[in-house]
Amino acid sequence: MTNELKFESPSFIKRIKGMLGVDFYRLFHTPMFYIFLAISAIIPAMVLGMTSIENPQGIMEPLYTNTWQIIAADKPLYVVNSIAEYANMNMVFIFGGIMVSIFIGHDYKSGYVKQLFTTHAKKQDYMISKSLVGAFSMACMCITYLLGGTIAGLLVGADMSVSVISLICAVAGKMVMSLGWASLYTFLNIIFRRYFGISIASSFFFGTGILIIGIGAIVGDSASFLLNAFLYGSSVNACLSSNGLSVLLCLMVSVGWALIYNVLGTLILSKCDVY
Amino acid sequence: MNAIEIRNLTKSFGEKQAVCGLNMTVPMGAIYGFIGENGSGKSTTEKMICGLIHPSSGEIKLYGRDYTDNDVRSRVGVLIEAPGCFPNQSVWNNLILQATNLGIKDAKKEVIKALKMVRMEGAASNKYKNCSLGMKQRIGIAMALLGEPALLILDEPINGLDADGMRIMREVLTDITKNYGCTVVISSHILGELEKIATHYGIIRHGRMIREMSATELENSCPTYVALKARDMSRAKALLNLKYSRVIEADGYLRVYDAGSSEEIVTYLYENNILVSEIMTDKISLEEYYIDLMNEKGGDR
Repeated sequence: MTNELKFESPSFIKRIKGMLGVDFYRLFHTPMFYIFLAISAIIPAMVLGMTSIENPQGIMEPLYTNTWQIIAADKPLYVVNSIAEYANMNMVFIFGGIMVSIFIGHDYKSGYVKQLFTTHAKKQDYMISKSLVGAFSMACMCITYLLGGTIAGLLVGADMSVSVISLICAVAGKMVMSLGWASLYTFLNIIFRRYFGISIASSFFFGTGILIIGIGAIVGDSASFLLNAFLYGSSVNACLSSNGLSVLLCLMVSVGWALIYNVLGTLILSKCDVY
Repeated sequence: MNAIEIRNLTKSFGEKQAVCGLNMTVPMGAIYGFIGENGSGKSTTEKMICGLIHPSSGEIKLYGRDYTDNDVRSRVGVLIEAPGCFPNQSVWNNLILQATNLGIKDAKKEVIKALKMVRMEGAASNKYKNCSLGMKQRIGIAMALLGEPALLILDEPINGLDADGMRIMREVLTDITKNYGCTVVISSHILGELEKIATHYGIIRHGRMIREMSATELENSCPTYVALKARDMSRAKALLNLKYSRVIEADGYLRVYDAGSSEEIVTYLYENNILVSEIMTDKISLEEYYIDLMNEKGGDR
């Protein structure tokens, strides 16, 4: 059984297939993934069914009158006035950020990264694999969020009227944005890989979109073209009045940022010592 | 062609130089014992060979290729410190995941083979976190064996193992070199164990390679001595000092280096009315050689 000394460089497809295989296996065998899926379903259901707000006459009324407002705002709102305008499917990107942080943190804690980078695995493969798995998990959360919100809406008897095309475009746009968000979180976790707490905090910070909300407050909604170039802006733009163009914009922004974050993450990983 | 060739390798962490101008040559098929004190730069060197940390300067060639080349990396198996396993997964799953990562076609067959090689067939279903230290080290070796490696880098795989664990590990490593025909670099502080399997040695100190040699060269440079116990040790020592160039007291024995034969010494002492109660011929061990070298008493004897 003596080895012949043949050296073959595995192709990109072979490398990424192997890495994705491991990451997806881990994802599906991680209780945390299912917990986040459940949270994504429960949160909109609870918010829709259990929250109420006092109107100017001092009477308590439901926070949302229409079921689909828990999925997306009626129009792109970069500056939010009330929690009702803020709490929609974009919350998934906060949950997703935390999940990606835990997932990558576990890579380092278990020594899996060490095992990985001593083989033929390349740094770019790692970035791509984590971004894709993170995007997939967030897209799944979008689906459970939609299900949770819809079922809660039916149960509480909230208004269900909506432009189906716009709703599909809004959900599709947000699901497409998962790739950009997952790449951002992967990048952040690469930067703070030795500081798990900071990784989670930074993912939470960026996931809330607070920077874009702040910029939005300064430049106003009129500069939406500028705000839409960012992940949170584009995610907000996928709303109940969106159309095919909004989805296309989401796709372009998501892929664009995914490329940027993947290149930057690969550079950092290549320049720094792994372990 | 050598399995590993390192020239002028340097690694600094800020102000601290962990490895300074290290040269290392590991012949193909060797079991290379990499020896050094704590903090001497062994692990840093191994991590550089494995591609986990970047050298500050210098050159690392594996089988004549740059160490970062993907083709050569795919034939390197590594166990650095502890295996990178998921604690809640079973041993089997951890190995299957590594095989998947490596793109091994018949992953199950390869995993079974690796488990057999490290005598772990019966523990495949155990959760990794429930395995003992010795089992974990063997799982690490099984992981490193996946993908038919040409080169194995093992960082202190026998540390912390009990006597039985060490015996199994020794058998495993011997089997690997026999059956896989691969080159093994193994660092350890347990020199007695290393001496039983290594064919080559590299001794590192303060980030520099201070000696590299084959086991045969080591044997030739380790002098034989006659160790004896006599009724009157102090008088015996004084007498032997008159005749032989180097006589020392160690472990309750008098060690006489450069002695012709034990009979010659017995006769010499008997003629001077000293009775010898115990006598044997021995060689200095790797451990003694290493300690001598570290104390800079010379290792070129």
